Amino acid sequence: MTGRAEFLERIRREVSKTPGLFGASPAPRPADPATAAETVRRELAERWPAALERFRIEFERVSGVFHRVPSLDAVPAVIGAIARERGALRAVTWDPAALGFDAAPALIRDGLEVVAARAGEEDEAARLRHRAQAAGAQLGVTGADFVLAETGTLILLSGSGRPGSTSLLPDVHVAVFGRDRLVETLEQVGVMLEALHVDPDRAMSGAMINFITGPSRTADIELTLTRGVHGPKEVHAVFVEAP
Amino acid sequence: MSDAALRTPFPQRAGAALKDAFLQEALTIATTKFIDLRKEAFAGFPQGEALRDRARAIKEATLQHLHVHLERLADNVERLGGHVHWATTAEEAREMVLRICRDRGVRMAVKSKSMATEEIDLNEALEHAGVVPVETDLGEYIIQLAREKPSHIIAPAIHKTKGQVAELFSRELGGEFPADPEVLTAVARRALREKFLQADMGITGANFAVADTGTVVLVTNEGNGRMVTSLPRIHVALMGVEKVIPSMSDLVVFLAILARSATGQKLSSYTTLVRGPRRAGELEGPEEFHLILLDNGRSRQIASTLREALYCLRCGACLNVCPVYRQIGGHAYGYTYPGPIGILLTAMLKGNESVRDLAHASSLCGACKDVCPVRIDIPRMLVELREHLDREKIAPWTERVAFKTLGRLLRSPAAFRLSAAAARWLQKPFVREGRLRALPLVFGKWTRTRDLPPVAARTFRERWEELR
Repeated sequence: MTGRAEFLERIRREVSKTPGLFGASPAPRPADPATAAETVRRELAERWPAALERFRIEFERVSGVFHRVPSLDAVPAVIGAIARERGALRAVTWDPAALGFDAAPALIRDGLEVVAARAGEEDEAARLRHRAQAAGAQLGVTGADFVLAETGTLILLSGSGRPGSTSLLPDVHVAVFGRDRLVETLEQVGVMLEALHVDPDRAMSGAMINFITGPSRTADIELTLTRGVHGPKEVHAVFVEAP
Repeated sequence: MSDAALRTPFPQRAGAALKDAFLQEALTIATTKFIDLRKEAFAGFPQGEALRDRARAIKEATLQHLHVHLERLADNVERLGGHVHWATTAEEAREMVLRICRDRGVRMAVKSKSMATEEIDLNEALEHAGVVPVETDLGEYIIQLAREKPSHIIAPAIHKTKGQVAELFSRELGGEFPADPEVLTAVARRALREKFLQADMGITGANFAVADTGTVVLVTNEGNGRMVTSLPRIHVALMGVEKVIPSMSDLVVFLAILARSATGQKLSSYTTLVRGPRRAGELEGPEEFHLILLDNGRSRQIASTLREALYCLRCGACLNVCPVYRQIGGHAYGYTYPGPIGILLTAMLKGNESVRDLAHASSLCGACKDVCPVRIDIPRMLVELREHLDREKIAPWTERVAFKTLGRLLRSPAAFRLSAAAARWLQKPFVREGRLRALPLVFGKWTRTRDLPPVAARTFRERWEELR
């Protein structure tokens, strides 16, 4: 087996044969990512209606279903309607603290069985229970950390109380977000990710970041587009107007 | 890859593909569709051209300090609690995966589509060791059940009809399934969902790895990449060393052009960023994360002929536009990586000897270079490769003599005139309907698959003398 030093030394030797051959440089990183991210946020605080409209168009183009509600109080009704239409019986959600609201009481009144992930739970028993619940649910409710207009993409960070499987295992995924989550371009996402990486509170919070652009899809059989091959067949985005 | 396929020489493999009517139709439909989707995606994306230049510059710059970026990547992965392994050869990489399987009692591994694992023949090795590998990309799953090999980098099963898939699923999974892609996809979903939840290990490649943050990035449309990296208790990612990029700022440049080049999407359905094993407080994710860095002949090319092939993103765009690939498909190439870039990657990984015939499976039209998201100059490298084959005496002696003679004739005006006159006279018995269709002796190999215009009655040089 090759050791690290030996492996890297071989590559260093090869690299040294081409000194100054290429003057290229990688993409510039923002000098101060936190400030750069703050600048992007400030700009978007004014431009959010345009970003939202662009997101809606792109999200619908990738078969996403867009909803708009005035306030958080109206969200459970939207989720309830989606569940009824699809005949869903069981739902899993992020921890209400991570979600910013508790959808469970209203959904339970609607006759849905609802299980929320709880921040802080992480022992083996809780993990197995959670996995069985997520695998048995038809509906998953999450927030979104960044909502990328340019491509119609929902970006979700995993972490305590915010498992990735909520947006993966159920047939239908519903993501709820407000205006402060909108970004316009992939380049801005780059800035946000650079900032996340240097933020001591958030850098270590979860191991996964998922960019979700529409439902799971494949065209592997005779190039026929089919949705829901492994992940959700449907993705809904619920925009909450109230800041 | 399969030695069985390689036992027949390339011309025969290509010949068989040309006679396969279904393959011909499937290739035309698939490649034409991918070409249109890509064209449309870039037409509505004016900044695309500048991003392609930038992406290329990032690859060039990263290779200039590859050892530094790899070390940074490894440090960060370890800081996050992951394990890093260094594999000089395919054999070492296989052995590392098998050792993890043995040590942790792994019995089943679910896999997300990875060309690197194909390159090292990992599935065969796992099976030998008693570990069941399950491919979970639908196309890969189909060809695994059929015991075949991928025919396209991003659409591995384009050579199969829905009827064949229905038959295959009915036989292998038990049932009576109709030839309906929607139904067949649902059947695969059910069968594979069970595997995701049972498997001990998830195995993936990596589209990129970000050195700054220790992040492995996977791009998929089906969501299997997410399943494989989050449900089993161990995740092993295998990546070629050239996949490392410095920062998140670089990553978004590549993301903007990768899916557009491959399938014409703005982004694939899922881009998954994995930063080591499960964190404290997380309910899911693997408890162990391993990153295997694979060299397997790559570093040799950093300062050599095939350097640019190390920029490849594996998008498959060059396959779709290649007039040779469009006719013969992926299997005829006989190795893991088909198409124009595949010839170069095969030479890189298996040595020049292995592409003795394949180096000529290109018309050098340059369409591949035009569509490559990082503008890899494939035709230039193919010409250089042919030159190497000649110099190293790997090319057949007839070919070497023919080109040497041609070279001499072209260098001397007198010899050129004389040979034109001789050819005019010698070709007479072989001209039919104004073309040379069947030449004798070794030249017959050339005219068996193509015809030639005859030497003109009066050459350009002769006419030029009069016109002057």
